[in-house]
Amino acid sequence: MKMALFKSFFARQMLSTHQAVLSTIRTQSSNLKPDPDAPVEMENPFKKELKQCILCKLNIDPDYKNYRLLSQFQSPYTGRIYPRHITGLCKRKQMQVEQEITKAQDFAYMPYTYKHKIFLKDPKLFDPENPVRSHRF
Amino acid sequence: MPTYELALLLRNMPKPELKTSLKRISHAIFDCGGIIRNIENLGFRPMPYKSTAHGMTHKEANYFIFKIDTPTKAVIDLKEEYKRDVDIVRQRFFKVKEEERKACTLEEELLPPAYREDVQKMIQIGKTQVNRFTYKFKYNSGLDYYPFQK
Ligand SMILES: [Zn+2]
Repeated sequence: MKMALFKSFFARQMLSTHQAVLSTIRTQSSNLKPDPDAPVEMENPFKKELKQCILCKLNIDPDYKNYRLLSQFQSPYTGRIYPRHITGLCKRKQMQVEQEITKAQDFAYMPYTYKHKIFLKDPKLFDPENPVRSHRF
Repeated sequence: MPTYELALLLRNMPKPELKTSLKRISHAIFDCGGIIRNIENLGFRPMPYKSTAHGMTHKEANYFIFKIDTPTKAVIDLKEEYKRDVDIVRQRFFKVKEEERKACTLEEELLPPAYREDVQKMIQIGKTQVNRFTYKFKYNSGLDYYPFQK
């Protein structure tokens, strides 16, 4: 019983002294310089880079005269245009590429059913075996 | 006057003849009140597929591109005239559009379906319509018989 009383008394004493110390700090803080250890406001350093498709990143507009670039979006086996989930382009650029390829085929710049043999060893922009989204076939 | 691009394939012929036929083609444009901004020669090369024009089968052609300004009404006449020209294998007119630059939307397209705007729109439309997979005829609808075939 005696011990408990002593404990409670001691705790009160401690608390009151602590509050007194705090109040003194608060009154002084307005006069002091900013604390160097205080958190600094900054942009999120873990923010990821904005994803862009390859044509938007390099600022390329597909054109039917540049049939070498367009043939990179064509299957070497069938000459058909690879869809968006394989090429990894945004909707707008994919639409432009498809329009320009059909135009180039109509103007006899590009073949319909195969890829020209001199373009077969061009660097690959994407891998048809590993599409962005899975194949439905 | 709108800007047109004219892609022409001319048949295989010696240079002086090519010169005269190009002159003829450009004079036809001037006659209908048009102007030529630029002529590009993409060279003589094999075509990706053979094509027939004026009873001849062509496997190679001279590739030319004309950038022209003509009245819209004159384009039909020009097409008609070039169709009759024996030296022209293939001719295509098309209007040049200035495409404005837009930011890439790939980031939004790669989001999970529930966060994509077009998917959300589809869900909203779906909510306003009757779901034919879960719809059931209500027998207490006032009719004393089932109106359809079972
Ligand atoms: Zn893009």
